[in-house]
Amino acid sequence: MLDLSIPELHKALEREGYICDLEQAVTIYLALKLGKPLLVEGAPGVGKTEVGKVLSRVLQTGLIRLQCYEGLDENKALYEWNYQRQLLKIQVLKETGCAAVDETSLFGPEYLLERPLLKAIRADRRVVLLIDECDKVDEPFEAFLFELLSDFQVSIPELGTLTARQIPVVVLTSNGERELSDGLRRRCVYLYLDYPGVEKEVRILQARVPEAGEKLIRQIALVTGYLRSQAELKKRPSIAESLDWARALVALNAHCLTEENLHFTLNMLLKNQEDQDLVRSKIGLAALLNSCRENETGPQEAGRREACRAAGGCRRA
Amino acid sequence: MQNQAPEISLAIAQFVRVLRLSGVRVSVAETMDAYRALAWIDLLDRRQVRAALQALLIKNPSDRPVFDRAFDLFFLSGEAKEELFARWRRQKEAEEQKLAAAGQELAQLFQPWEDYIPEKYRLTRENLQTFTRLPAREQKRLKELIAQMRGNPVNNPGELVARVVQAALNYWRYYLLKREAEEKEVSSPEDLFPVSADFYRDPGEQILYADLQNIQDEQLPKMTALIRRLSARLARRLSRRYRQSRRSRAIDFRRTIRQNIRFGGTPLELRYRGRRPKRPRLVLICDVSASMARYSRFVLQFIYGLNSAGQKIESFVFSEDLERVTPCFERRRDFAATMTDLMNESRQWGQTTNFYLALETFRREYKKLIAPDAVFIIVSDTRTVCWEQAAGLLGEMARKVRDVIWLNPVPAAGWSGLPAAAFRKCAQMYECYSLYHLEKIFRKKIPG
Ligand SMILES: Nc1ncnc2c1ncn2[C@@H]1O[C@H](COP(=O)(O)OP(=O)(O)OP(=O)(O)O)[C@@H](O)[C@H]1O
Ligand SMILES: [Mg+2]
Repeated sequence: MLDLSIPELHKALEREGYICDLEQAVTIYLALKLGKPLLVEGAPGVGKTEVGKVLSRVLQTGLIRLQCYEGLDENKALYEWNYQRQLLKIQVLKETGCAAVDETSLFGPEYLLERPLLKAIRADRRVVLLIDECDKVDEPFEAFLFELLSDFQVSIPELGTLTARQIPVVVLTSNGERELSDGLRRRCVYLYLDYPGVEKEVRILQARVPEAGEKLIRQIALVTGYLRSQAELKKRPSIAESLDWARALVALNAHCLTEENLHFTLNMLLKNQEDQDLVRSKIGLAALLNSCRENETGPQEAGRREACRAAGGCRRA
Repeated sequence: MQNQAPEISLAIAQFVRVLRLSGVRVSVAETMDAYRALAWIDLLDRRQVRAALQALLIKNPSDRPVFDRAFDLFFLSGEAKEELFARWRRQKEAEEQKLAAAGQELAQLFQPWEDYIPEKYRLTRENLQTFTRLPAREQKRLKELIAQMRGNPVNNPGELVARVVQAALNYWRYYLLKREAEEKEVSSPEDLFPVSADFYRDPGEQILYADLQNIQDEQLPKMTALIRRLSARLARRLSRRYRQSRRSRAIDFRRTIRQNIRFGGTPLELRYRGRRPKRPRLVLICDVSASMARYSRFVLQFIYGLNSAGQKIESFVFSEDLERVTPCFERRRDFAATMTDLMNESRQWGQTTNFYLALETFRREYKKLIAPDAVFIIVSDTRTVCWEQAAGLLGEMARKVRDVIWLNPVPAAGWSGLPAAAFRKCAQMYECYSLYHLEKIFRKKIPG
């Protein structure tokens, strides 16, 4: 299915709008080639979910998404019997004077409600199965997932064992809210997404919000990167937020940052009120703006980025 | 695909060994996966090799800096490796010279009493080593001390001086132990190159792994921010584990249906989903005596973080006796104020240690907390008077509670010189001298 080389996959990912480095492309490539699940971790909004989505586009195949949440169980994830329909059937049988209800007739395929995991197993083609935010599930369900990912078969007591026709491409994402088990980690190819550096963010912005224009995009990337290096922030702005911010600025018809448009759009970049207050009172909008202006020119920029990296701010992506 | 050159499998095996020595856990299966992966990439492209090994061997973000440094070192050219060894040898030589010089210097100071010092108080090589590693300021202080003793009209000043100096050096050795523990790993060139986790770590991340005793004042704001972030994240995780248990019992429809088939589908017998375990009650007992004060400050800061993020932890501090400090955490003020309260209100800060007395007080006044749902977290370097009695009493209490977990700021390598063994009979003891340890133990070892 994947006849691409690494550079070709890299190009295909970018063509589909996913900007990444060679390293990320290699990691994704290996997951595909080794037939192992890809576990993507990183802070919120750095593009984890997008990996699964873009893969289905690159591979031109279906995307089956299992959105995880606390309390998710096999009924919602794998399959469920259509209880109402079963009851109905029983009722009908009774009324027609059937003495005993034949159990097997109640557990036929027509009463089976397929949920994402079963759908992925029974798909005719090799689909992409995105198990999103799998850190949200409880431990027993994680154990169940782990087993499912090992052999891609499930046994349904009433129907017997179902085995995948095509092993799906599995992408798991996690925000690290709960530590995933070592077993699950060991089974996966691991991709850690960090906040992007300025250059990469520029490219992402160009791919997603080209209408913002070169100059504004650069300023957005610089200010976002600068804010990420501020240790006191409660929540560092993610890619999702820099994109939102860019769109907001475009809506204001801005071509470059000014103190004014910064003032009106800061809440798009920093969603947390405390963080906004911190920036307004402690750092100051003017200073924020200035820092990005200084940065725009030549060697100073590099120096500043070095300093920011040393401070543990924007690490390599 | 499987017929790769044998050098490659050897290189991977060696590299995995380096990672393991640096504290990264890598399984055999993962090693095999890495080996398989290399068949799919361009081996001449360093970036691809790096990405492949990282993707298959490193599954925790906190191990990434270690990987980066290890990779850079491992895949060095021959000359670069030589250079590294040469530097290491030079360091060793310089150290020997320093040792000799220090020996001479001290011998001169002791010279007036040379004949009076009994054999057992003569400085050992270990004492000298400790001396050379002291900060210059401390060296000077010790030398001045010795000089002042001259003309001191005590009976046998020589013995007194030697004892004082030796006691001081022993005290210092305890703080320097960690570095020695590391050097053990460095001591043999067969190890390919010196391996120690700190060696590889990114300076930006050092603070997470830094020994809490050595945190400098200028690092405090950074520490505070880091502790706040770690504890908030941890509290979020911990609370998830048990949140569900508060829900009412949920009907398991599938099992109910199956159960009731024989009644023609009328749900006569209901089936429920299993219940979850009850959340344990955490009780912290933290040593704040002189040798622990600096360290405990951070532990309490961490506990404060957990508390303010909603994790209730009954907290006590002790040195000569025990005091309950939970109310300080509950006042919901910021940390600086809380810490000041703790220091002002507690009479325990910076005293000597009597863990036995502290436990006695605990048993007498907080009897209710000694219950089957309690998990005790003891923070201490185990240096206490009456440690035998203390261990006995703790053993009794341990039988009545769910678990006793002991966080020891002394690295495990140094436990043999302490009464640690006695306490380990009734408590799970972990070395815990950095934020990294602290967070990890709370995350992995402490229920609830
Ligand atoms: N490398 C990238 N190239 C292009 N767009 C990106 C990239 N990374 C992220 N994005 C965009 O950023 C937004 C956020 O990404 P995504 O939803 O995948 O993040 P996430 O890590 O899954 O977030 P969360 O943790 O909140 O689920 C999306 O609109 C996505 O398209
Ligand atoms: Mg997502």
